[in-house]
Amino acid sequence: MAHLSRLVASALMGLAIATWIAAPPVLAQTRFVFANASPYDTLDPHKILDVGRVASRINLYDGLLRWLDNPAKLEPWLAESYTVSEDGKTYTFKLRKGAKFHDGSEIKASDVVYSMERILAQKGQSYPLFADLVTPGSTKALDDYTVQFNLTKASAIFLAVVPEVHVLNAALVKKNEKDGDWGAAWLSKNEAGSGSYMLDRYDPAIGFTAKRFKDHWNKQWGTKPIDEIEFRTVIELNSRVLGLLKGDFHGTDGYLPQDQIKRLREAPNIYVAEAESMRIFYAIIHSGREPMNDINFRKALSYAFDYDGFNKNILSDSVARNPVPLPNNIWGAPKGVKGYTYDLDKAKEYLAKMKAPPREITIGALAGYQQTEQAAALLQASLAKIGVKSKILAEPWSVVSAKMRNEQQMPDLLFLWKSTYYADPNNWVGEMYACDQIGQRNNSWYCNKEVDKLLVEALQTTDQAKRAANYEKAATMVMEDAGGIFIYNTKWFGPFNKKVTGIRFCPIGDGQEMRWASMEK
Amino acid sequence: MRTLVVILRRLIWVVPTLLGLLAIVFTVSHIIPADPAATLAGENATKAQIEAIRKQYGFDQPLPVQFLRYVQKVATGDLGISLYTQRPISEDLITRVPATLELAVVTILVAAGLGVPLGVIAAVRRNSLLDHALRIFTVSGLAIASFWLAILFQLLFAMKLGLTPLQGRVSGWGPSHVTGFFLIDAVINGDWRVLGNVAAHLVLPVLTLSFPAMATIVRFTRAGVLDAINSNYVLYEQAMGLPRRVIIWKYVLRNALIGTVTQIGLIFGILLAGAVVVESVFDWPGLGLYAVNAILRSDYNAIMGFTLITGAVFILVNLIVDIVHGLIDPRGGG
Amino acid sequence: MQTAFYLFRRLASDRTALFGACLVLLLILTAILAPWLATHPNDVAEFHPAERLKPPSAAHFFGTDRMGSDVYSRLLFGARITITIAVIAVGTAVLIGVPIGLVAGYYRNWVGDLLMRISDIFLAVPQIVLAIAIAQSLGPSIENVILALSLTYWPFWARLVYAETTRAMNETYVEAAIALGVPAPRIMLLHILPNISSSIIVRTTIGMGGTILTAAALGFLGLGPPPPTPEWGRTIAESREFLPDAWWYATAPGVAIFLVVMGFNLLGDGLRDILDPRTRRERE
Repeated sequence: MAHLSRLVASALMGLAIATWIAAPPVLAQTRFVFANASPYDTLDPHKILDVGRVASRINLYDGLLRWLDNPAKLEPWLAESYTVSEDGKTYTFKLRKGAKFHDGSEIKASDVVYSMERILAQKGQSYPLFADLVTPGSTKALDDYTVQFNLTKASAIFLAVVPEVHVLNAALVKKNEKDGDWGAAWLSKNEAGSGSYMLDRYDPAIGFTAKRFKDHWNKQWGTKPIDEIEFRTVIELNSRVLGLLKGDFHGTDGYLPQDQIKRLREAPNIYVAEAESMRIFYAIIHSGREPMNDINFRKALSYAFDYDGFNKNILSDSVARNPVPLPNNIWGAPKGVKGYTYDLDKAKEYLAKMKAPPREITIGALAGYQQTEQAAALLQASLAKIGVKSKILAEPWSVVSAKMRNEQQMPDLLFLWKSTYYADPNNWVGEMYACDQIGQRNNSWYCNKEVDKLLVEALQTTDQAKRAANYEKAATMVMEDAGGIFIYNTKWFGPFNKKVTGIRFCPIGDGQEMRWASMEK
Repeated sequence: MRTLVVILRRLIWVVPTLLGLLAIVFTVSHIIPADPAATLAGENATKAQIEAIRKQYGFDQPLPVQFLRYVQKVATGDLGISLYTQRPISEDLITRVPATLELAVVTILVAAGLGVPLGVIAAVRRNSLLDHALRIFTVSGLAIASFWLAILFQLLFAMKLGLTPLQGRVSGWGPSHVTGFFLIDAVINGDWRVLGNVAAHLVLPVLTLSFPAMATIVRFTRAGVLDAINSNYVLYEQAMGLPRRVIIWKYVLRNALIGTVTQIGLIFGILLAGAVVVESVFDWPGLGLYAVNAILRSDYNAIMGFTLITGAVFILVNLIVDIVHGLIDPRGGG
Repeated sequence: MQTAFYLFRRLASDRTALFGACLVLLLILTAILAPWLATHPNDVAEFHPAERLKPPSAAHFFGTDRMGSDVYSRLLFGARITITIAVIAVGTAVLIGVPIGLVAGYYRNWVGDLLMRISDIFLAVPQIVLAIAIAQSLGPSIENVILALSLTYWPFWARLVYAETTRAMNETYVEAAIALGVPAPRIMLLHILPNISSSIIVRTTIGMGGTILTAAALGFLGLGPPPPTPEWGRTIAESREFLPDAWWYATAPGVAIFLVVMGFNLLGDGLRDILDPRTRRERE
């Protein structure tokens, strides 16, 4: 009898142990993994401005204001309120009290001042946004919770770029400073922020992981907030798609080719969110050089591009035709403008009006970015039909971005995108065609006195209605002047695992701000 | 004694060779029309900002001066800062070298492990069906573009069949760092799941790289074995009545292995060259991909650092192979 | 003339070498006759976006690519680029490297030594790494690819010919010629060179294959001729984004490269068996 009971006891025990080993661990945490197309080679928020590396800035750090939603709206964030002086040169922000950094210390005005000074001193990618407006030492902490910016001149876009002043924990950064480097070496691998998530692991070759910052001052999260986020670098397109299908990743960038989007839509565990973003695709025309300085040639070029063939066939109708140098969906974009069409006869007409037939031109493209190469090839083929010879020059972005600012080295035409750094029309038509931006953000060497007057005026006043009118006129004039070949505005197609909901898309955060999202276990 | 002299002479020439290599790469990379200061400053920078960066990094100095400053820093062990990652290049390289080495070592083990026996069998069963099949294999192995083979393997095994991962060294975070060699680190940490993951990621790149490596090894082993079989020594042993099996495994194999070791230098070269494109296809975080990215981004310092390390390793490997060959080859130093 | 005929007969009797020769001939013919063999000869410069990524059919033997062009026709025109790059790059490298090796091996003075050291420098890293750096600096074009390839290949020839020449210098026929007072250029060109020519011919043939692979790798990385040039390596790179569905797009150019390189390799092997007495033993 005892034997049997012992046998049964050990059998039961064995069963219990086996079940315990075999049972999957209960997941107390939700984990969101995002496959990113470019590497996170630095975490320093003052060094980077591009969309490819936005995830670290937007999740680990906070700014005084924040861009949210689509169409993008500027919302108070670390600052509860602000006032602007009459002359538009003094901005005073009142910080909310009790907001904490990740290490528990309180966010004070002195931290904001330090962050602004650091941007000016470090001269990273966000520096040009403030260079003309803020001088070192002009930003003051009036008291613990009041910051004052004293600009060199009134500017309508200062508020739009303030979100890029990511507020650092000054004491923490100063502790890790080495040889007066403003903590650059340390901050590239660590963080000193107050954002929704706290950095956990980082490897520039892999990516970063971050845990939810439960003491964040903003108590609004998704209904089932995500406990841990991971942003991983997966350069290869097919790897991102396969990973999504397999469930290894839960989200990826929203600019996949349509063939892949179709595949993802057909998968049972994936959905694709759509939004009209603000990122125009166009060709820069070097208007400062012959024969492009002749408006007839520029018009001929504009009529020679097969817009429908490109947008509808090559891009499978996934984009919206955008005929002006402003995204259709931003305020200040002219409405109902038809723009140029693919009309080789009209192109030939304008060619004939030229004094002499044009020489062979160079069409630039970004190596590795198929769309730019395809657009260039398409244009080349059409130009050949109207007797204009051209050759294509596809070079890596590092080479192109440097050439773009040199009048001699800039190719005759260059296909590329213009993304949103801040949601203001000045981000596009303002920077692209202002006379004083020539050699910097005006890579067309385009200077039209009337257009320039409209643009300069628009920067000096904060009256949005007046600004909108100016931008509408300026954009239409540039289009009629064939200042560039304007092709499409991007649509964002964000593929996500069905477990993830509540993604709040904004053209600046690119749908990678994870505090609003929810995830099932 | 003679070998010692030879080794010494070779060693003396290492430094001038490396200097010359650096000079060539420096010259080549500075013909680039790209302006590194402009790249660093970002696309929104003003002319003044670009000039400031140019001064800060010393790009405004004449080229010979820039080169000398670089050599001076290298002599102290400072390989400079990567223009792209803003991190010390020596740091970057240290993390990348184990990735490529692991790939190379596993490839050589697989290629030799399969190639040597196959080569021996091919030689022993000359002109058999197997020999001819191997002949086709070795010729194909050296005729296929490795980047294309990599893509085909990805297409078949990862995309269509879903048997292996598509790219990368590991899914997510690898084993806790000990040596940098993931296989070893995973075992040290007792992390079996990661070990399996790492091994799965090694399959396709190793398969791709071992194709040409195996082709070469089979060829040379076969030739070496045939040489040995037809030699007088073996003839004598056969006449003495030693069983064929013993002759092969004892004497012929030794010759075959000598041949393979000699070819390690050649194979190493093939592997490194192949690694450059294969790492690009598989996004393998090794030296090859580092080189390609550095060159495409006009990251001068990274290009120079990479060339220096690769050149040094290459020269050293060839030197070691020559020494070993001299030691084990009974016919005396080659 | 007699030797050529003898060569040809020997070659014809070796089946694999003959197969290799046929493949090489096929490449040459394809390159020459491309405009006539292609079904859509204009597709090198003309595009039909509405027809993109169609699978192989009667109209398009190997399907269409991302711009709607016929993959088969573009493949044929790509053969022209392949041959051009290979012939000029290898030819240039040989024309530079062989004389350097001869002179350095004959005189064995400090000039020769210096040239050999320079060759060693180039040979210290794999050819492709230096070629990538050079091609990237100069910009993407067919001329720059050829330049990059020849600049990184001549050291191999210099070293090879140097070794052969120094070996030949110990031969009696050379010692005799020197003793007889034959001028140096004559010795190099009429005595030494013919004797090492077999080695050069064999390695040139095999070198064509290797050069084609390196050129394709450069095209793959985007360093070759610019779009829309139908270069085989570039086409493979373009196709990746459309896998696994458009499998024909990646397969066709890869198979072409494979056949061409294999042809040169087999031919080279066959020539080696015929011309090089040292390896002849293995075949018998």
